[in-house]
Amino acid sequence: MRPVLAVALALAMTALLIAAAGKNPLLAYAALGRGALGSWDRIGVGLNKATPYVLTGIGVALCFRARVINIGGEGQIALGGLAATWIALTFPQAPPVVLPLLALTAGALAGTGWAALAAAIRLHRGVHEVLGTLLLNFVGVLIVSEALQGALGEPGAGFPQSPLLPRASWLPRVLSGSDLHAGILIALIVVVAAHALLWRTPFGFRMRVLGASVPAAVYAGISPPGVLLGVMSLAGALAGLAGAIEVLGVHYRLIDGFSHGFGFNAVAIALLGALNPITVLPAGLFFGFLETGALAMQRAVGVPTPLVAVIQGLTMIFILSAMGLSARRSKV
Amino acid sequence: MDVVAELLAAALRIATPLLFAALGGILSERAGVFAVGLEGMMLAGAFAGVIATHALGHAGLGLIASVVGGGLLSAVVAVVAVRYCADQMVTGLAVNILALGLTSFLLRGLFGRGEAPIIRVTPLTSISIPVLADIPVVGPLLFRQPALTYAGLALVVMLFVAFQRTQAGLTLRAVGENPTAAFASGANPIRVRFLAVIGAGALAGVGGAVLSLQQVGTFTDGMTNGRGYLALAAVIVGRWSPVGALVGCLLFGSADALQLRIQGLRLPISSYVIQMLPYVVSLAVLAGLGRGARLPAAIGTPFFREPR
Amino acid sequence: MLRMQRISKSFGSVHANRAIDFDVPAGRIVGLLGENGSGKTTLMNILFGIVGPDAGLIEFKGRALRGHSPRDAIAAGIGMIHQHFTLVPAMTVTENVMLGWEATGWWLRPTAIAQRIRDASSAYHLGLDPDARVELLSLGTQQRVEIVKAALRGVELLVLDEPTSSLSPPEVAGLLGILRRLRDEGRSVIFISHKLGEVLEICDEVVVLRDGQVVGRVETTGVDRHELARLMVGRDVSSPIDRVTHSTGSERLVVAHLLARDALGIERLRDLSFSVRAGEVLALVGVDGNGQAELARVIVGIDRPTSGSVFVDGADVTAGGVAARRAAGLAHVPADRATTGLVTDMTIAENLALRSFDEPPLRHGPWLDAAAMTELARERIAEFEIRAPGPTSIARALSGGNQQKIVLARELAGRPSVLVAEQPTRGLDPAATRFVIDQVLALRAAGGAVLYITTELEEALLVADRIGVLYQGRLVGLLRRERVDLARLGLMMAGALEEPSDAAALYGVPTP
Repeated sequence: MRPVLAVALALAMTALLIAAAGKNPLLAYAALGRGALGSWDRIGVGLNKATPYVLTGIGVALCFRARVINIGGEGQIALGGLAATWIALTFPQAPPVVLPLLALTAGALAGTGWAALAAAIRLHRGVHEVLGTLLLNFVGVLIVSEALQGALGEPGAGFPQSPLLPRASWLPRVLSGSDLHAGILIALIVVVAAHALLWRTPFGFRMRVLGASVPAAVYAGISPPGVLLGVMSLAGALAGLAGAIEVLGVHYRLIDGFSHGFGFNAVAIALLGALNPITVLPAGLFFGFLETGALAMQRAVGVPTPLVAVIQGLTMIFILSAMGLSARRSKV
Repeated sequence: MDVVAELLAAALRIATPLLFAALGGILSERAGVFAVGLEGMMLAGAFAGVIATHALGHAGLGLIASVVGGGLLSAVVAVVAVRYCADQMVTGLAVNILALGLTSFLLRGLFGRGEAPIIRVTPLTSISIPVLADIPVVGPLLFRQPALTYAGLALVVMLFVAFQRTQAGLTLRAVGENPTAAFASGANPIRVRFLAVIGAGALAGVGGAVLSLQQVGTFTDGMTNGRGYLALAAVIVGRWSPVGALVGCLLFGSADALQLRIQGLRLPISSYVIQMLPYVVSLAVLAGLGRGARLPAAIGTPFFREPR
Repeated sequence: MLRMQRISKSFGSVHANRAIDFDVPAGRIVGLLGENGSGKTTLMNILFGIVGPDAGLIEFKGRALRGHSPRDAIAAGIGMIHQHFTLVPAMTVTENVMLGWEATGWWLRPTAIAQRIRDASSAYHLGLDPDARVELLSLGTQQRVEIVKAALRGVELLVLDEPTSSLSPPEVAGLLGILRRLRDEGRSVIFISHKLGEVLEICDEVVVLRDGQVVGRVETTGVDRHELARLMVGRDVSSPIDRVTHSTGSERLVVAHLLARDALGIERLRDLSFSVRAGEVLALVGVDGNGQAELARVIVGIDRPTSGSVFVDGADVTAGGVAARRAAGLAHVPADRATTGLVTDMTIAENLALRSFDEPPLRHGPWLDAAAMTELARERIAEFEIRAPGPTSIARALSGGNQQKIVLARELAGRPSVLVAEQPTRGLDPAATRFVIDQVLALRAAGGAVLYITTELEEALLVADRIGVLYQGRLVGLLRRERVDLARLGLMMAGALEEPSDAAALYGVPTP
């Protein structure tokens, strides 16, 4: 119940903000709703938007469960997209089922590598993963920019981007009449798999014990570095996968800056989803629809799109407050 | 020689926003609260500074507004992380997201009609100290700088002295090392941390104002672009001491200054690779220092007060 | 000087203090005697302003104290030295003394304060160096820093909470001397302890607390120890424990020439060698901080020693980690059940599976068998009579004694070869303590080897076949229980005596 309450409070506060800016909140929210859910087409767009959110949200949620704060989503997604693009452009002759699968796998591996790098720096040099993943974000995004200037770039385009990817690599549509692509199916599979991992496997048990108490985990023979590396690699894989899905399903090319903001969103979504894969799904959906609706809202009523970030931030703050207060109560 | 001197002077200038934020970060972290929210506080300060200067016409008022802006945002961290005992790092992240959204939203909401307007303010100029400014090398570096840079340097000294020789500084350090001990000695750790965080926000806000009012002359979406996190890295690199943070900020400032100048020359290195310089340098330095750093012992642990 | 009337305080369903009347005249040392959980610390926390009472009045030097904080208590002239020192380790003695001292003003003058510390130190024979960093000082010296803090602030009533728990016998004597000096100056002292002998030695009068109530108040001259013990515990103390003397078998646990350094490079274990045989309990006693925790961690596999080996049933397990040693038959009851031995936010079933979740029957291929975990939990709950609603109850909700039962149930299931038990009865009421000791002796009777690490000498004498003394990471004495003499033990614990090991008591150690 608590996350829902937090969202409601955040929406209420933002309504005040909209009113202060001179617009009618009810009209604004109505436009938001229409833009998000008004037609099958809109719903498809929203689900597409939600897919990377769900994937990265689950990755971050699993990290949180093991006491790891991973905000490297942006860099991992960027490199995941890069890897997928490279595969698609290098093997255009591969058959239409194999090529996307190959590209998705490459994306996941790239993300894993980048996350594992941050984990390694944390384990061997003591640099906290917040700073490590954060700084690597910048570097990762710049690597993509660099690649778009050179080998993967499309000369003559007014904007740093890759050439259009071969048709064979595109993710198939799953709903006629809309842009909804197969990524949502992948996301759903991941939700179920992550839930099973967390609650029904020994590794998930290790994560939960470590997240609850480090001394108890050590006592139980659980290796904190092993869990850290494992869970961050997993989160990196999910983020890289998300990046590959964005490239293969939405843009059909690699676009400079396509990964912007994903890392921090994932933290908000993980919190809103109470760190549980099953509930991260609606949280990710919420943010996805929020974003598609916001664009429509801006066009219709003139309320600027950064509102979404405001809602996100407020939601996080309310959830954090509730978490803190209840922890305080149980300590005393 | 001239090139180096000019580079160093530029480095100090560029480092000034980082410096203010880093000093704020030291206040917060020495008192036991992670300063992950510096980015958002800087952004809030940058925004408030530009808006106020534009609306009221005076850069000094803009500066005051930046203090208020950064302080308001840090108040959120103070309440949620210190009073409500939520996770300090994630609260910092939340505040950063909120600042990003709020500043961009207000920028459009208050001035444009759904679009981002361009507000221009005259950047503050440098002040030359006569005679001293003409000393070769050291002159331009130390004595021909904008007013706020001088303020920043003065603050380094003041903070250093305050930590070592005032009861308030001692108490703050004690709260960061062992809040229970501080409590048993008569201090109020919650109050101390609260004030430290607000102080951090005020200083970070000034840092943001230095960026928007002194260096750039306008406000753009997310203009701090990670400087708050670099400031945090500088705090850690400098081992939570004011002088060390100054060194750290100069290091990153130099990397940034170098990057800007190299772009002008036609070196075979791609500009993107050069842009990575500050981040890679900071990672390398952090990694190089390893675990030697001596954290405030109680950082990150909330202080629970039994009911009265 | 101090008058506390009808003080009451409850924490949820626990009545820590029930209508307690407690007075302290000037120039007296008053002892507050009681077992763990009798309410002594709560009463003093109320006095010092850390906690507020539910009811009752406090009057100090004629003025009422209410709704006050430690700051107010200090200002009024009350000083408290807690069981766990409230010093800042990274700071110097001078800085710690200056902390929170309003009389120094906002601008600090460390040199002047340092001089005052030196003066007070020589006046009271404290031997303090104002520029030393607290974390490098011994626990006894740290305590004296606390005392100088209080003395310089002019406290008239000094409260000490279990002050001797981390001191060696000579340090205790030093402390008592300081307290006598303070009393002779007209100040008053409240001496909280559960140690009868000390209380009788130092205090002028004793107030006995049990279950949150005052059950006795006597002058110490001429009082009977047994009488006091009976008041404390409420029943006859010496209930005999069945210890079957039997012959012991092969060596099940052997540690050879252990050397361990901590993160700062300080040696914590120095050339430690001993063995424990089947059917034997070896108790290691010593003042806390002499290597007990490090030894347990090295034996159990959490830490690697700098050099040396550990053998379980003849097999060299030094290279293996915690899981490997567990597989070899090594069980571990850690000192801190709430943070280490259990995950308090998880269910009883999960806690019981904490060490065995990664192997059949609780694991099938990549999956955990939740049903098997629950079933197993049900069995153990019945076998160990754990009082809880069911296997899915959260561990946090259980009492200390029941929580320790979970730990024991987990560790003793499967008949381990060796049990390493660290302070297993800490914080437990007498019935739970008895349960733990019975379980340990049962394992002993079944042929297991038990290493029993404790700070409670009397308990060690109850369970052990042999007793070893740890001092600064070395085994300074290893004796059969029958040959033990409390005086000698005390001296060994203080490092003042080192026994050439009783040859028959120290069985052979395998050559490296």
